[in-house]
Amino acid sequence: MSATFLGYPRKNGSIGVRNWVGVISIMDNCNPVTRAICNAVDGTVPITTLFVRGQYGRDLEITYNTLAGMGSNPNIASVLLIGLEEMTSEEVAKRIRPTGKRVEIINLQPDGTINAVANGTRIAMRMAIEASGIRRVSCPASSLVIGVECGGSDTTSGLSCNPAIGRMADRLVDDGGTIIISETSEFFGAEHLFAARAVDDKIRKEFVDKVVGFEQDAMKMGLDIRGTNPTPDNIRGGLTTIEEKALGAMAKAGTRPLVGVLDYGEPPVKKGLHFMATPAPAVESMTAFAAGGCQLIFFGTGVGNPIGNMVSPTVKVSGNVNTLRTMPDNIDVDVSELIEKGSKVTDVGDRLYGYTMEVASGTRTTSEVLDIRETAISRFGPTI
Amino acid sequence: MPRALVLNDLDNVATLIDSGKAGDDCALQGEAKGTVRLLADVPFGHKVCIKDTSAGQEIFKYGTIIGKASAAIKPGAHVHTHNVESIRGRGDQAGSSK
Repeated sequence: MSATFLGYPRKNGSIGVRNWVGVISIMDNCNPVTRAICNAVDGTVPITTLFVRGQYGRDLEITYNTLAGMGSNPNIASVLLIGLEEMTSEEVAKRIRPTGKRVEIINLQPDGTINAVANGTRIAMRMAIEASGIRRVSCPASSLVIGVECGGSDTTSGLSCNPAIGRMADRLVDDGGTIIISETSEFFGAEHLFAARAVDDKIRKEFVDKVVGFEQDAMKMGLDIRGTNPTPDNIRGGLTTIEEKALGAMAKAGTRPLVGVLDYGEPPVKKGLHFMATPAPAVESMTAFAAGGCQLIFFGTGVGNPIGNMVSPTVKVSGNVNTLRTMPDNIDVDVSELIEKGSKVTDVGDRLYGYTMEVASGTRTTSEVLDIRETAISRFGPTI
Repeated sequence: MPRALVLNDLDNVATLIDSGKAGDDCALQGEAKGTVRLLADVPFGHKVCIKDTSAGQEIFKYGTIIGKASAAIKPGAHVHTHNVESIRGRGDQAGSSK
């Protein structure tokens, strides 16, 4: 029987696992007002950005789409945009409106920041009250889109947290849901193995083109990732080949077929396992997950990386007993039994899948409660 | 007794989660059970062979091919760069194969 959870139904048919009012800065100079409103109104999340001014072309387009994607995320009930002036605010607003959710705009020009904070606070307060009237209902696991990430990886990552997350990923795909794996550079050396899982030649080519294109970009900057991996440190640690190193990271995507390849922050249109092309740093990659509509993120860590996403609650999973002892406040799920007690990956992964439904139904994560969350939209060109 | 983790039932290697010495019986856990006697010292995080593997045969970890045996490998042997070749290139021989 397929798993179910309690979620918030949205007008466009998507399901939220949280029910926040999103207050979104259209550009860097709006962030202080966004934060002031969120400090005043319970039930809001601040979604801030850097730059936008001075960006152009594809770089600007991706930034607008990422901001709008986070506003469109099913975890956001309604959106208050904080802009400097009408034109750029409208650029983001028009991309969120098709979801059917309420979108309001406050601009800093011409009345200044004190009025913007006052007016924005009033609107956000009403939106928060409105959102609180929405009730959770039973929803199928197939409505979930989950991003899988890793950071602060070590020997334990490939042996415990990543395979456990991979089993969770297989269970979700088998129940008709969607998994997205990202971090293009981590596939170097094992892209052929992942490509072999593509459902057809078109998807296979799209995936390989993304990895090879990224590798060529790295080469242009003087970085030969394939030729220097595994590093002498990795070899001392027991990693024999670049395939083995990449597989430790890929293990978190499970074993199901690859059905789609996505650009940075692009939402999937199919169910099943997807790859999204993103840089490796976790905050940038998770921002892209949130923009792509992920309601949750699972994050495997070895030596410990506490950061979560603002819009997609982030479940930290570790199997490193030292990390679980030294930074327990930043870990949601302990999977060290895989190493310490010889538990089976399938059993631990199945329990993790059960916990997925709990978090989707409202159980909060450490980064959510402690507000260890950040947004960073990747740049694809210089500021002018 | 040192322990080694088997990640998939297709695997012909297990990863040591304690350091092992030649002659030690190593306890397998995870997707396989039993013991294998170590033929060499195998440090923490390194791999031990658990199924008789001939030269040229593929090495499986995570149920996936991580390379090919460059020599015959007996159960209990240390599996590493001295008896496994990447199919994709190797960092300690940078540029030799791509």
